[in-house]
Amino acid sequence: MKLQRDIFINEINNALKVDKKIYFLSADFGAEALDRLRKDFPKNFVHCGISEQAMFDVATGLALEKKKVFVYAMAPFISLRAIEQIKCGPSMMNLPMTVLSVGIGLGYADAGPTHYATEDFACLRSIIDTKIFTPSDNLTVKFLAKDIIKKNKGLNYVRLDRHPVKDNVCNFSYKDFQDGFRIIGSFDKNKVAIISHGRILEQCLNVLKKNMKKCFVVDLFRSKPISEKLIKKLQNNKKIIVVDEQCLAGNLSSSVFESFSNFKIFPKIKSIYLPEEYVFENGGRDYLLKKYKLDSRNIELSLLNYF
Amino acid sequence: MYKDKYLVNISKQYRKELFEKFLQVGQGHPGSVFSIIEILVCLFYGKFIRFDKKKKIFHDKIIISKGHATVALYPILKNFGVLPIREWNNWGKKNLKSELRVFGNISIPGIDATTGSLGHGLGVGCGLALSYKKDKIDKNVYVIISEGELYEGSTWEALLFAKHYNLNNLKIVIDQNSLIILGKTDECLKLNPIKDKLKGFGFEVIECNGHSIQQLKKAFRKKTNNLKIVLADTIKGKGFSIMENIPKWHYWNSLNQQEIEKCRAEIK
Repeated sequence: MKLQRDIFINEINNALKVDKKIYFLSADFGAEALDRLRKDFPKNFVHCGISEQAMFDVATGLALEKKKVFVYAMAPFISLRAIEQIKCGPSMMNLPMTVLSVGIGLGYADAGPTHYATEDFACLRSIIDTKIFTPSDNLTVKFLAKDIIKKNKGLNYVRLDRHPVKDNVCNFSYKDFQDGFRIIGSFDKNKVAIISHGRILEQCLNVLKKNMKKCFVVDLFRSKPISEKLIKKLQNNKKIIVVDEQCLAGNLSSSVFESFSNFKIFPKIKSIYLPEEYVFENGGRDYLLKKYKLDSRNIELSLLNYF
Repeated sequence: MYKDKYLVNISKQYRKELFEKFLQVGQGHPGSVFSIIEILVCLFYGKFIRFDKKKKIFHDKIIISKGHATVALYPILKNFGVLPIREWNNWGKKNLKSELRVFGNISIPGIDATTGSLGHGLGVGCGLALSYKKDKIDKNVYVIISEGELYEGSTWEALLFAKHYNLNNLKIVIDQNSLIILGKTDECLKLNPIKDKLKGFGFEVIECNGHSIQQLKKAFRKKTNNLKIVLADTIKGKGFSIMENIPKWHYWNSLNQQEIEKCRAEIK
Protein backbone atom coordinates (compact mmCIF):
# COMPACT_ATOMS: atom_id res chain seq x y z
CA MET A 1 0.00 0.00 0.00
CA LYS A 2 1.20 3.45 -0.84
CA LEU A 3 1.85 6.12 1.73
CA GLN A 4 0.04 9.45 1.53
CA ARG A 5 3.33 11.35 1.52
CA ASP A 6 4.59 9.39 -1.51
CA ILE A 7 1.39 10.07 -3.42
CA PHE A 8 1.60 13.80 -2.71
CA ILE A 9 5.30 14.06 -3.52
CA ASN A 10 4.86 12.02 -6.70
CA GLU A 11 2.42 14.66 -7.92
CA ILE A 12 5.09 17.28 -7.16
CA ASN A 13 7.61 15.16 -9.11
CA ASN A 14 5.28 15.14 -12.08
CA ALA A 15 4.74 18.89 -11.86
CA LEU A 16 8.48 19.54 -11.57
CA LYS A 17 9.03 18.17 -15.05
CA VAL A 18 7.59 21.40 -16.39
CA ASP A 19 7.40 23.80 -13.45
CA LYS A 20 10.81 24.76 -12.15
CA LYS A 21 9.40 27.31 -9.73
CA ILE A 22 8.53 24.52 -7.33
CA TYR A 23 10.83 24.22 -4.32
CA PHE A 24 10.68 21.39 -1.81
CA LEU A 25 12.17 22.03 1.62
CA SER A 26 12.74 19.30 4.17
CA ALA A 27 13.92 19.36 7.75
CA ASP A 28 15.63 16.00 7.33
CA PHE A 29 12.46 14.00 6.81
CA GLY A 30 12.30 11.52 3.97
CA ALA A 31 10.05 9.49 1.71
CA GLU A 32 10.54 7.11 -1.18
CA ALA A 33 9.12 9.67 -3.60
CA LEU A 34 11.36 12.32 -2.11
CA ASP A 35 14.41 10.21 -2.98
CA ARG A 36 13.31 10.46 -6.59
CA LEU A 37 12.72 14.21 -6.31
CA ARG A 38 16.21 14.70 -4.86
CA LYS A 39 17.74 12.62 -7.64
CA ASP A 40 15.78 14.04 -10.57
CA PHE A 41 15.40 17.65 -9.42
CA PRO A 42 18.31 18.44 -7.10
CA LYS A 43 18.07 22.15 -7.86
CA ASN A 44 14.55 22.25 -6.49
CA PHE A 45 15.26 20.40 -3.26
CA VAL A 46 16.57 22.30 -0.26
CA HIS A 47 17.74 20.43 2.81
CA CYS A 48 17.30 22.82 5.70
CA GLY A 49 18.92 20.72 8.39
CA ILE A 50 16.88 19.80 11.42
CA SER A 51 15.93 23.45 11.72
CA GLU A 52 12.20 23.83 11.34
CA GLN A 53 12.21 27.51 12.30
CA ALA A 54 14.83 28.60 9.78
CA MET A 55 13.19 26.33 7.21
CA PHE A 56 10.01 28.39 7.37
CA ASP A 57 11.93 31.67 7.22
CA VAL A 58 13.84 30.42 4.17
CA ALA A 59 10.56 29.24 2.66
CA THR A 60 9.15 32.73 3.24
CA GLY A 61 12.05 34.30 1.38
CA LEU A 62 11.54 31.90 -1.53
CA ALA A 63 7.80 32.56 -1.57
CA LEU A 64 8.43 36.32 -1.62
CA GLU A 65 10.24 35.65 -4.90
CA LYS A 66 7.17 33.83 -6.26
CA LYS A 67 8.49 30.33 -5.80
CA LYS A 68 5.95 27.56 -5.16
CA VAL A 69 7.12 26.30 -1.84
CA PHE A 70 6.44 22.99 -0.10
CA VAL A 71 7.73 22.61 3.44
CA TYR A 72 8.00 19.08 4.80
CA ALA A 73 8.68 17.46 8.15
CA MET A 74 7.24 15.28 10.87
CA ALA A 75 3.91 16.60 12.17
CA PRO A 76 4.76 17.42 15.81
CA PHE A 77 7.82 19.42 14.84
CA ILE A 78 6.71 21.20 11.69
CA SER A 79 3.62 22.44 13.49
CA LEU A 80 4.44 23.48 17.03
CA ARG A 81 8.20 23.99 16.76
CA ALA A 82 7.87 26.62 14.07
CA ILE A 83 4.41 28.03 14.60
CA GLU A 84 5.57 31.62 15.04
CA GLN A 85 7.55 31.43 11.80
CA ILE A 86 4.38 30.23 10.07
CA LYS A 87 2.47 33.15 11.58
CA CYS A 88 5.01 35.88 10.79
CA GLY A 89 5.99 34.48 7.40
CA PRO A 90 3.40 33.08 5.01
CA SER A 91 0.38 33.96 7.12
CA MET A 92 1.23 37.60 7.88
CA MET A 93 2.72 38.30 4.47
CA ASN A 94 -0.09 36.46 2.72
CA LEU A 95 2.25 34.20 0.77
CA PRO A 96 1.34 30.93 -0.90
CA MET A 97 2.96 27.99 0.85
CA THR A 98 2.10 24.39 1.56
CA VAL A 99 3.07 22.64 4.75
CA LEU A 100 3.22 18.86 4.52
CA SER A 101 2.87 17.49 8.01
CA VAL A 102 3.34 13.74 8.36
CA GLY A 103 2.32 11.53 11.26
CA ILE A 104 -0.74 13.20 12.73
CA GLY A 105 -2.51 11.94 15.83
CA LEU A 106 -0.92 8.90 17.42
CA GLY A 107 0.73 7.96 14.14
CA TYR A 108 4.11 7.60 15.78
CA ALA A 109 2.98 5.17 18.48
CA ASP A 110 5.03 3.84 20.33
CA ALA A 111 7.51 6.69 20.04
CA GLY A 112 5.73 8.57 22.80
CA PRO A 113 4.17 11.99 23.17
CA THR A 114 7.13 14.00 21.83
CA HIS A 115 6.29 12.44 18.49
CA TYR A 116 2.50 12.53 18.70
CA ALA A 117 0.70 15.35 16.96
CA THR A 118 -2.44 15.60 19.04
CA GLU A 119 -2.58 19.40 19.27
CA ASP A 120 -1.39 20.41 15.80
CA PHE A 121 -4.88 20.85 14.37
CA ALA A 122 -5.92 23.32 17.07
CA CYS A 123 -2.66 25.25 16.81
CA LEU A 124 -2.57 25.56 13.05
CA ARG A 125 -6.21 26.38 12.67
CA SER A 126 -5.66 29.34 14.97
CA ILE A 127 -3.21 30.82 12.47
CA ILE A 128 -4.99 33.37 10.32
CA ASP A 129 -6.09 32.25 6.87
CA THR A 130 -4.73 28.72 7.00
CA LYS A 131 -6.52 26.12 4.96
CA ILE A 132 -6.44 22.75 6.67
CA PHE A 133 -6.70 19.42 4.89
CA THR A 134 -6.74 15.96 6.45
CA PRO A 135 -7.29 13.42 3.67
CA SER A 136 -8.63 10.03 4.66
CA ASP A 137 -7.65 8.10 1.52
CA ASN A 138 -5.18 8.17 -1.33
CA LEU A 139 -7.63 9.47 -3.90
CA THR A 140 -8.19 12.61 -1.84
CA VAL A 141 -4.43 13.08 -1.47
CA LYS A 142 -4.05 12.91 -5.22
CA PHE A 143 -6.82 15.47 -5.84
CA LEU A 144 -5.44 17.68 -3.11
CA ALA A 145 -1.90 17.63 -4.49
CA LYS A 146 -3.09 18.41 -8.00
CA ASP A 147 -5.29 21.21 -6.75
CA ILE A 148 -2.64 22.85 -4.59
CA ILE A 149 0.06 22.63 -7.26
CA LYS A 150 -2.32 24.07 -9.85
CA LYS A 151 -3.63 26.94 -7.74
CA ASN A 152 -0.59 27.73 -5.56
CA LYS A 153 -2.77 29.89 -3.39
CA GLY A 154 -2.86 30.60 0.32
CA LEU A 155 -1.29 28.85 3.25
CA ASN A 156 -2.18 25.17 3.15
CA TYR A 157 -1.60 22.89 6.11
CA VAL A 158 -1.82 19.32 4.84
CA ARG A 159 -2.06 16.66 7.54
CA LEU A 160 -0.90 13.28 6.28
CA ASP A 161 -0.94 9.95 8.02
CA ARG A 162 2.20 8.02 8.77
CA HIS A 163 0.55 4.72 7.93
CA PRO A 164 -0.97 3.50 4.68
CA VAL A 165 -4.64 4.31 4.20
CA LYS A 166 -7.18 2.97 1.71
CA ASP A 167 -6.93 3.97 -1.92
CA ASN A 168 -10.51 5.09 -2.02
CA VAL A 169 -13.07 5.01 0.77
CA CYS A 170 -15.81 6.34 -1.49
CA ASN A 171 -15.70 7.38 -5.11
CA PHE A 172 -15.97 11.06 -5.89
CA SER A 173 -14.86 13.42 -8.61
CA TYR A 174 -12.27 16.20 -8.72
CA LYS A 175 -15.21 18.58 -9.11
CA ASP A 176 -16.83 17.29 -5.92
CA PHE A 177 -13.47 17.52 -4.17
CA GLN A 178 -13.77 21.31 -4.38
CA ASP A 179 -16.57 21.18 -1.78
CA GLY A 180 -14.08 20.11 0.88
CA PHE A 181 -16.25 17.22 2.11
CA ARG A 182 -18.08 14.16 0.93
CA ILE A 183 -21.00 12.31 2.38
CA ILE A 184 -20.68 8.56 2.69
CA GLY A 185 -23.87 6.54 3.18
CA SER A 186 -27.30 7.92 2.51
CA PHE A 187 -28.01 11.38 3.80
CA ASP A 188 -31.12 11.87 5.88
CA LYS A 189 -31.91 14.79 8.14
CA ASN A 190 -33.22 12.39 10.81
CA LYS A 191 -30.00 10.37 10.97
CA VAL A 192 -26.93 11.07 13.07
CA ALA A 193 -24.13 12.70 11.09
CA ILE A 194 -20.74 11.26 12.03
CA ILE A 195 -18.11 13.80 11.02
CA SER A 196 -14.43 12.94 10.90
CA HIS A 197 -11.26 13.23 8.83
CA GLY A 198 -8.02 11.40 8.20
CA ARG A 199 -7.28 7.77 8.95
CA ILE A 200 -9.68 7.67 11.92
CA LEU A 201 -12.50 7.99 9.41
CA GLU A 202 -12.07 4.26 8.74
CA GLN A 203 -13.41 3.55 12.23
CA CYS A 204 -16.48 5.64 11.45
CA LEU A 205 -17.03 3.76 8.19
CA ASN A 206 -17.05 0.49 10.12
CA VAL A 207 -19.83 1.93 12.27
CA LEU A 208 -21.70 3.04 9.18
CA LYS A 209 -21.62 -0.48 7.65
CA LYS A 210 -23.57 -1.86 10.61
CA ASN A 211 -25.85 1.14 11.14
CA MET A 212 -26.82 2.38 7.69
CA LYS A 213 -30.29 3.34 8.87
CA LYS A 214 -29.11 5.30 11.85
CA CYS A 215 -26.25 7.39 10.50
CA PHE A 216 -24.18 8.62 7.61
CA VAL A 217 -20.53 9.72 7.59
CA VAL A 218 -19.09 13.07 6.53
CA ASP A 219 -15.48 12.96 5.41
CA LEU A 220 -14.52 16.54 6.21
CA PHE A 221 -11.14 16.51 4.51
CA ARG A 222 -11.06 20.31 4.36
CA SER A 223 -11.76 21.40 7.90
CA LYS A 224 -10.79 25.03 7.48
CA PRO A 225 -12.70 26.66 6.03
CA ILE A 226 -15.65 24.33 6.46
CA SER A 227 -17.87 24.48 3.41
CA GLU A 228 -21.02 26.57 3.75
CA LYS A 229 -22.64 23.97 1.55
CA LEU A 230 -22.09 21.35 4.25
CA ILE A 231 -23.55 23.53 7.00
CA LYS A 232 -26.65 24.14 4.90
CA LYS A 233 -26.91 20.47 4.05
CA LEU A 234 -26.77 19.46 7.72
CA GLN A 235 -28.82 22.34 9.11
CA ASN A 236 -31.73 20.08 10.04
CA ASN A 237 -29.67 17.25 11.47
CA LYS A 238 -30.19 17.51 15.20
CA LYS A 239 -27.51 15.04 16.22
CA ILE A 240 -23.87 15.07 15.24
CA ILE A 241 -20.89 12.99 16.37
CA VAL A 242 -17.41 14.33 15.68
CA VAL A 243 -14.50 11.90 15.86
CA ASP A 244 -10.99 13.34 15.91
CA GLU A 245 -7.61 11.82 16.77
CA GLN A 246 -6.74 14.99 18.68
CA CYS A 247 -7.17 16.31 22.20
CA LEU A 248 -10.42 18.20 22.80
CA ALA A 249 -9.32 21.84 22.92
CA GLY A 250 -9.76 23.36 19.48
CA ASN A 251 -10.19 20.04 17.71
CA LEU A 252 -12.49 19.19 14.79
CA SER A 253 -15.60 19.32 16.99
CA SER A 254 -14.74 22.93 17.89
CA SER A 255 -14.46 23.78 14.20
CA VAL A 256 -17.77 22.12 13.46
CA PHE A 257 -19.51 23.87 16.35
CA GLU A 258 -18.08 27.27 15.37
CA SER A 259 -19.11 26.85 11.75
CA PHE A 260 -22.67 25.92 12.69
CA SER A 261 -22.97 28.68 15.25
CA ASN A 262 -21.91 31.24 12.63
CA PHE A 263 -25.17 30.36 10.91
CA LYS A 264 -27.06 30.37 14.23
CA ILE A 265 -27.54 26.64 13.98
CA PHE A 266 -26.98 24.69 17.20
CA PRO A 267 -27.19 20.94 16.75
CA LYS A 268 -26.30 18.56 19.56
CA ILE A 269 -22.64 17.68 19.05
CA LYS A 270 -20.98 14.73 20.75
CA SER A 271 -17.20 14.89 20.56
CA ILE A 272 -15.03 11.76 20.61
CA TYR A 273 -11.40 12.66 21.17
CA LEU A 274 -8.11 11.80 22.86
CA PRO A 275 -7.63 12.51 26.57
CA GLU A 276 -6.09 15.72 27.86
CA GLU A 277 -2.85 13.98 28.78
CA TYR A 278 0.45 12.95 27.25
CA VAL A 279 0.29 9.24 26.52
CA PHE A 280 3.41 7.30 27.46
CA GLU A 281 1.83 3.87 27.27
CA ASN A 282 3.03 1.36 24.69
CA GLY A 283 0.84 -1.04 22.75
CA GLY A 284 0.55 0.57 19.35
CA ARG A 285 -1.84 3.03 17.75
CA ASP A 286 -4.84 0.75 17.46
CA TYR A 287 -4.52 -0.34 21.07
CA LEU A 288 -4.40 3.29 22.22
CA LEU A 289 -7.35 4.26 20.03
CA LYS A 290 -9.37 1.44 21.56
CA LYS A 291 -8.29 2.38 25.06
CA TYR A 292 -9.40 5.98 24.52
CA LYS A 293 -12.67 4.91 22.88
CA LEU A 294 -11.81 6.06 19.37
CA ASP A 295 -12.33 2.60 17.89
CA SER A 296 -15.37 1.57 15.88
CA ARG A 297 -16.98 -0.36 18.74
CA ASN A 298 -16.95 2.63 21.06
CA ILE A 299 -18.00 5.08 18.35
CA GLU A 300 -20.93 2.73 17.67
CA LEU A 301 -21.85 2.78 21.35
CA SER A 302 -21.88 6.57 21.27
CA LEU A 303 -24.15 6.41 18.26
CA LEU A 304 -26.55 3.95 19.87
CA ASN A 305 -26.64 5.95 23.10
CA TYR A 306 -27.78 8.94 21.08
CA PHE A 307 -31.19 7.30 20.52
CA MET B 1 29.39 59.06 -5.96
CA TYR B 2 28.59 61.03 -2.84
CA LYS B 3 31.45 62.23 -0.68
CA ASP B 4 31.76 60.96 2.88
CA LYS B 5 31.03 64.43 4.22
CA TYR B 6 27.69 64.44 2.46
CA LEU B 7 26.83 61.10 4.03
CA VAL B 8 27.76 62.46 7.46
CA ASN B 9 25.51 65.46 6.89
CA ILE B 10 22.61 63.46 5.59
CA SER B 11 22.88 61.12 8.60
CA LYS B 12 22.49 64.18 10.80
CA GLN B 13 19.54 65.31 8.70
CA TYR B 14 17.83 61.95 9.13
CA ARG B 15 18.38 62.09 12.88
CA LYS B 16 16.64 65.46 12.90
CA GLU B 17 13.71 64.24 10.84
CA LEU B 18 13.32 61.10 12.88
CA PHE B 19 13.55 62.94 16.20
CA GLU B 20 10.74 65.27 15.15
CA LYS B 21 8.72 62.28 13.95
CA PHE B 22 9.20 60.48 17.28
CA LEU B 23 7.86 63.60 18.99
CA GLN B 24 4.78 63.48 16.76
CA VAL B 25 4.16 59.76 16.94
CA GLY B 26 4.95 59.55 20.65
CA GLN B 27 6.12 55.94 20.47
CA GLY B 28 8.75 53.76 18.88
CA HIS B 29 12.28 52.60 19.49
CA PRO B 30 14.65 55.55 19.18
CA GLY B 31 17.65 53.77 20.72
CA SER B 32 17.66 51.11 18.03
CA VAL B 33 16.71 53.48 15.21
CA PHE B 34 19.51 55.96 15.92
CA SER B 35 22.11 53.22 16.21
CA ILE B 36 21.73 52.17 12.54
CA ILE B 37 21.48 55.55 10.76
CA GLU B 38 25.01 55.59 9.37
CA ILE B 39 24.76 51.92 8.37
CA LEU B 40 21.67 52.66 6.29
CA VAL B 41 22.97 55.92 4.87
CA CYS B 42 26.15 54.16 3.82
CA LEU B 43 24.24 51.30 2.14
CA PHE B 44 21.80 53.55 0.28
CA TYR B 45 23.97 56.57 -0.53
CA GLY B 46 27.17 54.58 -0.90
CA LYS B 47 25.31 52.73 -3.68
CA PHE B 48 25.74 49.33 -2.13
CA ILE B 49 21.98 49.03 -2.51
CA ARG B 50 21.48 49.83 -6.17
CA PHE B 51 18.61 52.08 -7.21
CA ASP B 52 16.75 52.14 -10.50
CA LYS B 53 15.88 55.82 -10.92
CA LYS B 54 13.49 55.27 -13.80
CA LYS B 55 11.44 52.58 -12.10
CA LYS B 56 11.95 54.07 -8.66
CA ILE B 57 12.75 50.71 -7.16
CA PHE B 58 15.78 49.34 -5.40
CA HIS B 59 17.56 46.62 -7.30
CA ASP B 60 18.90 44.99 -4.15
CA LYS B 61 16.90 43.98 -1.11
CA ILE B 62 17.21 45.07 2.48
CA ILE B 63 15.64 43.46 5.50
CA ILE B 64 15.74 45.19 8.86
CA SER B 65 15.42 42.01 10.88
CA LYS B 66 15.36 44.09 14.07
CA GLY B 67 11.93 45.24 12.96
CA HIS B 68 11.59 47.83 15.71
CA ALA B 69 14.26 49.87 13.90
CA THR B 70 12.58 49.83 10.49
CA VAL B 71 11.45 53.39 11.12
CA ALA B 72 15.02 54.43 10.27
CA LEU B 73 14.31 53.39 6.68
CA TYR B 74 11.25 55.56 6.16
CA PRO B 75 12.86 58.97 5.57
CA ILE B 76 15.40 57.34 3.24
CA LEU B 77 12.65 55.65 1.24
CA LYS B 78 10.81 58.95 1.15
CA ASN B 79 13.83 60.83 -0.16
CA PHE B 80 14.42 58.28 -2.90
CA GLY B 81 10.79 58.72 -3.96
CA VAL B 82 9.87 55.14 -3.13
CA LEU B 83 7.67 56.06 -0.19
CA PRO B 84 5.07 58.73 -0.93
CA ILE B 85 5.83 61.92 1.02
CA ARG B 86 2.28 62.11 2.31
CA GLU B 87 2.72 58.77 4.11
CA TRP B 88 5.62 60.25 6.02
CA ASN B 89 3.97 63.61 6.61
CA ASN B 90 0.67 62.13 7.77
CA TRP B 91 2.22 59.64 10.15
CA GLY B 92 1.58 60.62 13.74
CA LYS B 93 -0.91 63.34 12.87
CA LYS B 94 -4.42 63.10 14.22
CA ASN B 95 -7.18 62.27 11.74
CA LEU B 96 -4.73 61.67 8.89
CA LYS B 97 -4.10 58.24 7.41
CA SER B 98 -0.69 56.71 6.90
CA GLU B 99 0.54 53.23 6.07
CA LEU B 100 3.56 53.71 8.30
CA ARG B 101 3.88 51.75 11.52
CA VAL B 102 6.42 51.46 14.32
CA PHE B 103 7.31 48.05 12.87
CA GLY B 104 7.76 47.63 9.14
CA ASN B 105 5.56 45.46 6.99
CA ILE B 106 5.30 44.70 3.29
CA SER B 107 2.27 46.92 2.74
CA ILE B 108 4.66 49.86 3.11
CA PRO B 109 6.34 50.74 -0.21
CA GLY B 110 10.02 49.82 -0.11
CA ILE B 111 9.76 47.36 2.76
CA ASP B 112 10.82 43.94 1.54
CA ALA B 113 9.72 41.77 4.47
CA THR B 114 7.45 42.10 7.47
CA THR B 115 9.54 42.02 10.62
CA GLY B 116 9.03 42.67 14.28
CA SER B 117 9.45 39.32 15.92
CA LEU B 118 13.20 38.85 16.32
CA GLY B 119 15.19 36.14 14.62
CA HIS B 120 13.23 35.83 11.38
CA GLY B 121 14.91 38.30 9.03
CA LEU B 122 18.10 36.40 8.42
CA GLY B 123 16.26 33.23 7.41
CA VAL B 124 13.98 35.20 5.10
CA GLY B 125 17.08 36.85 3.64
CA CYS B 126 18.55 33.38 3.07
CA GLY B 127 15.44 32.42 1.12
CA LEU B 128 15.66 35.52 -1.07
CA ALA B 129 19.38 35.07 -1.62
CA LEU B 130 18.96 31.39 -2.46
CA SER B 131 16.25 32.25 -4.96
CA TYR B 132 18.46 34.79 -6.76
CA LYS B 133 21.41 32.44 -6.72
CA LYS B 134 19.44 29.53 -8.18
CA ASP B 135 17.98 31.81 -10.87
CA LYS B 136 21.38 33.42 -11.52
CA ILE B 137 19.97 36.89 -10.81
CA ASP B 138 22.48 39.54 -9.77
CA LYS B 139 20.83 40.84 -6.63
CA ASN B 140 22.23 41.27 -3.18
CA VAL B 141 20.23 40.87 0.01
CA TYR B 142 21.31 43.02 2.94
CA VAL B 143 20.07 41.91 6.34
CA ILE B 144 20.60 44.06 9.40
CA ILE B 145 20.24 42.09 12.58
CA SER B 146 20.61 43.28 16.12
CA GLU B 147 23.08 41.84 18.54
CA GLY B 148 20.04 40.84 20.61
CA GLU B 149 18.87 38.62 17.75
CA LEU B 150 21.88 36.43 18.41
CA TYR B 151 19.88 35.14 21.37
CA GLU B 152 17.40 33.60 18.94
CA GLY B 153 18.25 30.06 17.88
CA SER B 154 16.72 30.65 14.46
CA THR B 155 19.45 33.23 13.73
CA TRP B 156 22.11 30.56 14.17
CA GLU B 157 20.06 28.09 12.14
CA ALA B 158 20.01 30.66 9.33
CA LEU B 159 23.76 31.25 9.63
CA LEU B 160 24.35 27.51 9.19
CA PHE B 161 22.10 27.62 6.14
CA ALA B 162 23.81 30.65 4.59
CA LYS B 163 27.22 29.08 5.00
CA HIS B 164 26.23 25.68 3.67
CA TYR B 165 24.61 27.13 0.55
CA ASN B 166 27.44 29.65 0.16
CA LEU B 167 25.03 32.56 -0.10
CA ASN B 168 27.63 35.16 -1.06
CA ASN B 169 24.86 37.50 -2.23
CA LEU B 170 23.62 37.67 1.36
CA LYS B 171 25.22 40.59 3.19
CA ILE B 172 24.85 40.42 6.93
CA VAL B 173 25.31 43.41 9.20
CA ILE B 174 25.15 43.05 12.97
CA ASP B 175 24.24 46.20 14.86
CA GLN B 176 26.25 45.64 18.02
CA ASN B 177 25.23 48.24 20.57
CA SER B 178 25.70 45.89 23.54
CA LEU B 179 22.35 46.75 25.08
CA ILE B 180 19.05 44.95 25.32
CA ILE B 181 15.94 46.13 27.13
CA LEU B 182 17.06 45.11 30.61
CA GLY B 183 20.67 46.17 30.34
CA LYS B 184 24.05 45.18 28.95
CA THR B 185 24.21 41.92 27.02
CA ASP B 186 27.33 40.93 28.95
CA GLU B 187 25.40 41.23 32.21
CA CYS B 188 21.98 39.91 31.12
CA LEU B 189 23.22 36.82 29.29
CA LYS B 190 26.67 36.87 27.81
CA LEU B 191 26.88 36.69 24.03
CA ASN B 192 30.59 37.31 23.75
CA PRO B 193 32.90 36.38 22.19
CA ILE B 194 30.55 37.07 19.27
CA LYS B 195 33.32 37.38 16.71
CA ASP B 196 34.79 33.98 17.59
CA LYS B 197 31.38 32.35 17.48
CA LEU B 198 30.68 33.76 14.03
CA LYS B 199 34.13 32.75 12.84
CA GLY B 200 33.44 29.29 14.19
CA PHE B 201 30.43 29.15 11.88
CA GLY B 202 32.78 29.81 8.98
CA PHE B 203 32.25 33.52 8.42
CA GLU B 204 34.82 36.23 8.01
CA VAL B 205 33.96 38.94 10.49
CA ILE B 206 34.81 42.55 9.69
CA GLU B 207 34.61 44.77 12.75
CA CYS B 208 34.09 48.48 12.34
CA ASN B 209 32.75 51.60 13.97
CA GLY B 210 29.09 51.56 12.96
CA HIS B 211 28.92 55.36 13.00
CA SER B 212 31.96 55.94 10.81
CA ILE B 213 31.00 56.29 7.16
CA GLN B 214 34.59 55.67 6.13
CA GLN B 215 34.93 52.47 8.14
CA LEU B 216 31.53 51.19 7.10
CA LYS B 217 32.28 51.74 3.41
CA LYS B 218 35.58 49.95 3.78
CA ALA B 219 33.90 47.04 5.56
CA PHE B 220 31.16 46.70 2.91
CA ARG B 221 33.72 46.88 0.09
CA LYS B 222 36.20 44.43 1.54
CA LYS B 223 36.51 41.31 -0.57
CA THR B 224 36.74 38.12 1.44
CA ASN B 225 37.23 34.47 0.66
CA ASN B 226 34.56 33.36 3.10
CA LEU B 227 31.08 34.76 3.55
CA LYS B 228 31.31 38.07 5.31
CA ILE B 229 29.58 39.54 8.32
CA VAL B 230 30.02 43.21 9.18
CA LEU B 231 30.03 43.52 12.95
CA ALA B 232 29.27 47.19 13.44
CA ASP B 233 29.95 48.67 16.87
CA THR B 234 27.25 51.19 17.53
CA ILE B 235 25.84 53.35 20.30
CA LYS B 236 22.21 52.87 21.18
CA GLY B 237 20.47 56.24 20.84
CA LYS B 238 23.49 57.73 19.03
CA GLY B 239 23.38 61.50 18.61
CA PHE B 240 21.35 62.39 21.69
CA SER B 241 23.13 62.52 25.04
CA ILE B 242 19.84 61.98 26.83
CA MET B 243 19.44 58.62 25.10
CA GLU B 244 22.94 57.32 24.38
CA ASN B 245 23.58 53.96 26.07
CA ILE B 246 20.54 54.34 28.31
CA PRO B 247 18.50 51.08 28.22
CA LYS B 248 15.17 52.78 28.87
CA TRP B 249 15.56 54.63 25.56
CA HIS B 250 14.96 51.36 23.78
CA TYR B 251 11.44 52.80 23.87
CA TRP B 252 10.37 56.38 23.36
CA ASN B 253 9.91 58.36 26.58
CA SER B 254 8.15 61.66 26.98
CA LEU B 255 10.40 64.71 27.09
CA ASN B 256 9.88 68.15 28.60
CA GLN B 257 10.45 71.25 26.49
CA GLN B 258 13.93 71.79 27.91
CA GLU B 259 14.95 68.25 27.01
CA ILE B 260 13.46 68.59 23.55
CA GLU B 261 15.48 71.75 22.92
CA LYS B 262 18.61 70.05 24.23
CA CYS B 263 18.13 67.17 21.79
CA ARG B 264 17.50 69.58 18.93
CA ALA B 265 20.62 71.55 19.77
CA GLU B 266 22.77 68.42 19.78
CA ILE B 267 21.86 67.52 16.20
CA LYS B 268 21.95 71.00 14.74
